[in-house]
Amino acid sequence: MKRYGEQRFPGKLYVVEGIDGSGKSTQLMLLQQWLRAEGYGVVFSEWNSSPLVRNTTRRGKRKQLLTPATFSLIHATDFADRVERNIIPLLKAGAVVLCDRYIFTAFARDGARGMAPLWLRELYSFAVKPTIAFYFRVPLDVAMERILASRGAIKFYEAGMDLGLSDDPEESFRLFQGRILEEYEKMIPEFDLHVIDATLPIEVQQAEMRQAVKAKLGQTKRLLAAP
Amino acid sequence: MRETYGVVLPGMDLSNLPGKLIVIEGTDGVGRTTQINLLKPWLEQQGHAVLVTGMTRSTLAGKGIKRAKEGNTLGWITLSLFYATDFADRLENEIVPALRAGFVVLTDRYTYSLMARALVRGIDPAWVRNLYSFALRPDAVFYLRIGIEALTPRVIFSHGFDYWESGMDLFASEDMYESFCKYQAALMAQFDGLAREYGFQVADASQPVDDIFQQLREEIRRVLKEKSASPISTASPRKIADASEGAARLEESAASPALGEGKAGA
Repeated sequence: MKRYGEQRFPGKLYVVEGIDGSGKSTQLMLLQQWLRAEGYGVVFSEWNSSPLVRNTTRRGKRKQLLTPATFSLIHATDFADRVERNIIPLLKAGAVVLCDRYIFTAFARDGARGMAPLWLRELYSFAVKPTIAFYFRVPLDVAMERILASRGAIKFYEAGMDLGLSDDPEESFRLFQGRILEEYEKMIPEFDLHVIDATLPIEVQQAEMRQAVKAKLGQTKRLLAAP
Repeated sequence: MRETYGVVLPGMDLSNLPGKLIVIEGTDGVGRTTQINLLKPWLEQQGHAVLVTGMTRSTLAGKGIKRAKEGNTLGWITLSLFYATDFADRLENEIVPALRAGFVVLTDRYTYSLMARALVRGIDPAWVRNLYSFALRPDAVFYLRIGIEALTPRVIFSHGFDYWESGMDLFASEDMYESFCKYQAALMAQFDGLAREYGFQVADASQPVDDIFQQLREEIRRVLKEKSASPISTASPRKIADASEGAARLEESAASPALGEGKAGA
């Protein structure tokens, strides 16, 4: 079992992190378009998407069966399945893998739920170290504004309602996301996260991202048949 | 005050858990369930409320694990995490509430079986220990130990060789019997290591059912006599690997087929 930072693969792994409303998913989508156009073999891997584990996670959330411990472990299970069966084989094959959220999401959320930081870091030590981990830094108020404008009800676990911070979902969401922001800030030096100011215009952020990605692409193969 | 093997889960209050946590461990087909089925009515006759629990029985993850294993497609890190999810769910929702209510909790396997299965498959021991370090230290762990020669006929006469119990994911080129022997031997070596590390009390499982039952009764009586108010172990956190006492007891019990003196684990 290779540990974090010990694996060497021909492929590249770029991940985006940040709270909801930071605009990270939009940026990753734009990055993907560009990499495709450049002829690279790009694969998207989303948080919470392992087909084998998804049903259990969904049930746990719907029925509100999850505690901080089982919330943490079921997400780790999902992530491990994706690493073992998806991310590692793709990286071995020389693909460019893009992840919307990665282990830092788990450290931030589970840490905010009171799980021990060192336990979490060891738990996820099987993860592949990203080529670059981008952190989209945004003030809480800006993120809140974007989220409330763009969708309806906030989900139970997203708002950290399981923690009993507040009975009001919006207030609970604000408090919980505030804690998560603190966790992210602590991780910037620890994991050498590449910070992007998510209040800047979308085009400016994307240009910075592309420049950083390009610098690390090196000899990554381009697929001729790319769409 | 109870202790875990390391981290304490958020919201888990370890004080005031007057029940007893008794673990029956051992490899497949060794007779764990038979003993539990004898112990439960015996304990109840004496007025103890008993909760029987075992692996992959959680409301949350039990079904998911069974479905995933049918496909034989999960990697071992993933499977270990899935098992840990199931275990955490049962610990928080079954085991701890029962201990708080003063039950005797009899568990058919505990984290040790899960650890042994992962270790046999080459998963990093430090990772495995960390993963399960939120587990409560039991009041006693009884390890039913048996040799391959004695185990094989039991498996043949019960349900035959099964894919996972034969470790076919590890020794796939062999036929099921060859694979079974290799796998169970490797698993037993891991169990023996864990027995020393965590201070299991070892019972020779090749003895007649009644003899084992009698030995278990004696030991459990001893465990139940210990005042629940008295500290089960030292208050300061100990390292997981610190089980020199346990190792001594194992040698003692390995010398004779009878169970060692004194309590385990804790």
